[in-house]
Amino acid sequence: MSSVPGLQADCEELLGAFQEADTVRFERFAELWRERRFHTIFYGRIRALERNKLTKKTLELAQQYFLPPYAFQIRVGALYLLYGLYSTQLCQPKQKIRIALKDWPEIQRFQQDLIDSQHYDAACIFRTLRLARAFHFTAMPKLLNYRTKKKIQENEFKEEFKDPSNRVNSLITNDVLEELMNIHDHYQKMKCVISADKSQPDKALSLIKDEFVITLKDITLEHQEWQQNKMKLFLNAKETDEISNKMEEETLLGSEGSERANALARIKYRSYSAVVEASKSRRHRQVKLESSESGSNYGKSPSRSKKNSRRPQPARRRDAVE
Amino acid sequence: SIDMLMSPDKEKDPDVIPEDSSLLTLRIRKKALERREETIIVDRACRQETLAYEMESHAIGKRPDNPTDLVEEGELLLTVNIFYPVIFQKHKDHKPYQTVLVLGSQKLTELRDSISCVSDLQIGGEFSSQPDQAPEHISKDLYKSAFFYFEGTFYNDKRYPECRDLSRTIIEWSEARDRGYGNLQSVKMEDYTFNDLSLKIGFPYLFCHQGNCEHIIIITDIRLIHHDDCLDRNLYPLLIKKHWLCTRKCFVCKMYTARWVTNKDSLAPEDPCFFCDVCFRMLHYDAEGNKLGEFLAYPYVDPGIFN
Repeated sequence: MSSVPGLQADCEELLGAFQEADTVRFERFAELWRERRFHTIFYGRIRALERNKLTKKTLELAQQYFLPPYAFQIRVGALYLLYGLYSTQLCQPKQKIRIALKDWPEIQRFQQDLIDSQHYDAACIFRTLRLARAFHFTAMPKLLNYRTKKKIQENEFKEEFKDPSNRVNSLITNDVLEELMNIHDHYQKMKCVISADKSQPDKALSLIKDEFVITLKDITLEHQEWQQNKMKLFLNAKETDEISNKMEEETLLGSEGSERANALARIKYRSYSAVVEASKSRRHRQVKLESSESGSNYGKSPSRSKKNSRRPQPARRRDAVE
Repeated sequence: SIDMLMSPDKEKDPDVIPEDSSLLTLRIRKKALERREETIIVDRACRQETLAYEMESHAIGKRPDNPTDLVEEGELLLTVNIFYPVIFQKHKDHKPYQTVLVLGSQKLTELRDSISCVSDLQIGGEFSSQPDQAPEHISKDLYKSAFFYFEGTFYNDKRYPECRDLSRTIIEWSEARDRGYGNLQSVKMEDYTFNDLSLKIGFPYLFCHQGNCEHIIIITDIRLIHHDDCLDRNLYPLLIKKHWLCTRKCFVCKMYTARWVTNKDSLAPEDPCFFCDVCFRMLHYDAEGNKLGEFLAYPYVDPGIFN
């Protein structure tokens, strides 16, 4: 069945606020929870059968945020959210949280991380849930159902919640660096052993830069910092873009009114009226507008796409914003 | 403590949605509730809903009287969906099914016995001349063969001597030429438990009985048994969901479920026509029990008999 309407928005809003608070303390989360009176999410005169289904879906949605690839803070927030939802649900006996077998090692690692970084409140909450038998240990995370879906809903979770996918970092981890260091030292020692002067290697044997491991580490750190800066810029740009985008949308809608009148004429003339072409970064928005009007304007889309290809200038606008 | 941080300030009625809620979910739900109040006169659970809820939750938390019947920790619980073979037009999009919970250590034969299909109860034969002598034997007693098909292996029911290997035809057919079906095996159903099988979740398998009555079987979930589940081994396989099929009523009185169906009946307005026992005898036989008019009559078992 389809998801609970509005639930994803509410959860993301709460988790977003928690992320902004920039802490992993449960007291902070509880404050945010109380502000929104989140426990009322189960209210509303729902009969028993429907309530069971609803609670199951709510827990399933919250559970998705608990697993990678979400950022550490979001995962701790999801843990608190699961605890809150599990404790305040109205079903008797309580609906359980489903965790798949493949996710358990990851979750145990997460718990170990929490204990190591001394976030004892989070670890305590996880233990409470375990003791309260709040988990179902299942083979697959999602319970299947049998409706032929007309449209396959793709869950788009917010980008900001995810850890920036850092390929470079996942390749050159701490372990790898350590091992490289060891091998490098060993190599140097071997060179010393076989050369005439026992304290340092022969000049003829110096084929690599001595400092290369340290240089590699510095480069990786630089890359990581650069990526974080880019994320921040992107977030800032998004905010300013939203303001400027509202103005663009108004002009777009206005010009569409006149285009509707001359739909056929446009195909003939291919005239370029004063339509503000949205920038490349907003192209996905453009597509959405067309699809909602596709019922009345069949002739419009092909001419529009032709215009897209003939206008390379908007691409430059994005760089200017960044 | 942790609990105090979460509980509300004052006890509120969970049926009432607070006025000034900041949650989108509640705002949407409130609108739906208001619409419901406008359109529905009496807002309570219909009997289908009550039945469905009862089925789902009647066995939760049950413990056996006999401690040897207790389900052990570490037992697997499978959720099996068994689809009905009935193909009505209205079932095009959502095929009706029943859901059964099975323990991992249970044999396949136990699941087979728990599947209730209307074709098992059919009585074969035409009985217009002797309506009182409809035999007691139902198809379930006559044709006992059945098989499951999981992952390339046919599990045949061989508990009784009259059970035949229904899957032999299929295996011979696939081996006759190179049809690309790989190696199909045939083994005995009673030797295997669910723990011995390797299964795919969500993949359709087959259960065939009565020679040609086929049910699709889909396993939707496998999980470990939980403290709150029913721990009485005797209650498994446990039926938790059933599709409600409307029974066909007698054409005459429209009150009782049909027990007879007639074809080529000169006394009936349509072909085929359904009658309950009383109306059937009143219409087709006189006071002495002689047959009136020309017709063929068969005993009829309605699919909704399991409601």
